[in-house]
Amino acid sequence: MTEPAPTNVPRLAAGCRMTQSADLGPVLLLPESMLRLTGPGPRIVELCDGTRTLANVIAALQSEFSAADPEMIRREVLAFLASLQERRALDLV
Amino acid sequence: MSDTFVPRALIAEVTHRCPLRCVYCSNPLEMRSRSEELTTAEWQRVFGEAAALGVLQLHLTGGEPLARQDAEQLVKSGRAAGLYVNLITSGIGLAEARLEALVAAGLDHLQLSFQDAEQAQADEIAGTRAHAAKLDLAHRVRKHRIAFTMNIVVHRQNLGRLPEMIALAEELQVDKLEVANVQYYGWAFENRGRLLPTREQVRETVAIVDAARERLKGRMRIDCVLPDYYARFPKACMGGWGQGLMLIDPIGVVLPCHAARVIPGLSFDDVRSKTLRWIWEESPAFQRFRGEEWMQEPCRSCDRRTRDFGGCRCQAMMYTGDPDATDPVCSLAPTRGLIDAVIASVAATPDREADPKWVYRINPANQSAPLPTSSF
Repeated sequence: MTEPAPTNVPRLAAGCRMTQSADLGPVLLLPESMLRLTGPGPRIVELCDGTRTLANVIAALQSEFSAADPEMIRREVLAFLASLQERRALDLV
Repeated sequence: MSDTFVPRALIAEVTHRCPLRCVYCSNPLEMRSRSEELTTAEWQRVFGEAAALGVLQLHLTGGEPLARQDAEQLVKSGRAAGLYVNLITSGIGLAEARLEALVAAGLDHLQLSFQDAEQAQADEIAGTRAHAAKLDLAHRVRKHRIAFTMNIVVHRQNLGRLPEMIALAEELQVDKLEVANVQYYGWAFENRGRLLPTREQVRETVAIVDAARERLKGRMRIDCVLPDYYARFPKACMGGWGQGLMLIDPIGVVLPCHAARVIPGLSFDDVRSKTLRWIWEESPAFQRFRGEEWMQEPCRSCDRRTRDFGGCRCQAMMYTGDPDATDPVCSLAPTRGLIDAVIASVAATPDREADPKWVYRINPANQSAPLPTSSF
């Protein structure tokens, strides 16, 4: 699997989109499966809109969640995106 | 009890008409005719009712869903109801203009079925010349921004070409490959003797799929369904009876699974006379195997009962005549010997008898000839 570079631009893969379920909250809809998004999950997905580099996505979250350890945020974002990549839910352009 | 179960997926069998005659078709042996099919407006209402119940995913299937002239409208209605729309198609006759219209209508995901990696063998299983048309479509799908899954139904006659099938999926750049072993219900049950793979083939499948998954990680997902006859424990069929999924047939009859009609004494309600909510929450058929009340031993006291729900009720019925029995594929089932006997008879039969006698699926009664592709 390709390791993401800070200059890569992440965006949801074709046929993957976020929706709001009445009882589950934010859900990522994927081909024949779905992923419930919790915590900063929905915000990360929102930021991966194909206009920002990975470095920008991380920086944006670090400034929005300034109370949290920036290094921890970086690691969590990378782990989250790797799990999306593994499900073929994320493209790195 | 019913309020704890929320349906998440709706399988809409919008027609039983199909240009293919696959020997393992999951449609019932008795098909619904075109004149009885739900109308565009009726499906639209049903999609809205489904979304209100909590359904998130809509699988438009058939038969061949594109045999309906209003397929684009059905996609549009599904999206308008807030659903993720998946089209499960043979791809036959799907010209570029119609594909564009489906994408414009909001199609999220296209699942294209293949019978084999080789044309002659594929066409034999489909009972018609279909393979070349599928390849033509597959080469065009990637131009559109939708998810693309290739589904290959595998069985004894084609598992030897699994590496070629994976190579084909790579060439076509699909997001997901489904290596789906035949499930032995309906038409497939009729052809079980020829389709059921040997134990050795199942072992090889696992090794080949594992290696391909590792190699293609992040590029292509591979889902693999193994034949439950070789499993130690049964599959959690449909995620449990009436627990998260429902199927609606072409005339609006709502079922917990494809095969549920084999269970005697159940009466299935339809969306023309009842609301979908009532059918899901209140109808006796959907309540019948919810929870654990109905279970017998060894299921009743088994630790696995909350994971596999006693397995498949239809399979229990087909093999034991008792729909409440433990699924006979379970190694703990007193009737496991029935499955072992089938496996033994497959192992004792030569790979392929000289004169293949497939039982091909038929088309609905008022459809005298296979659907001409030009009508799509």
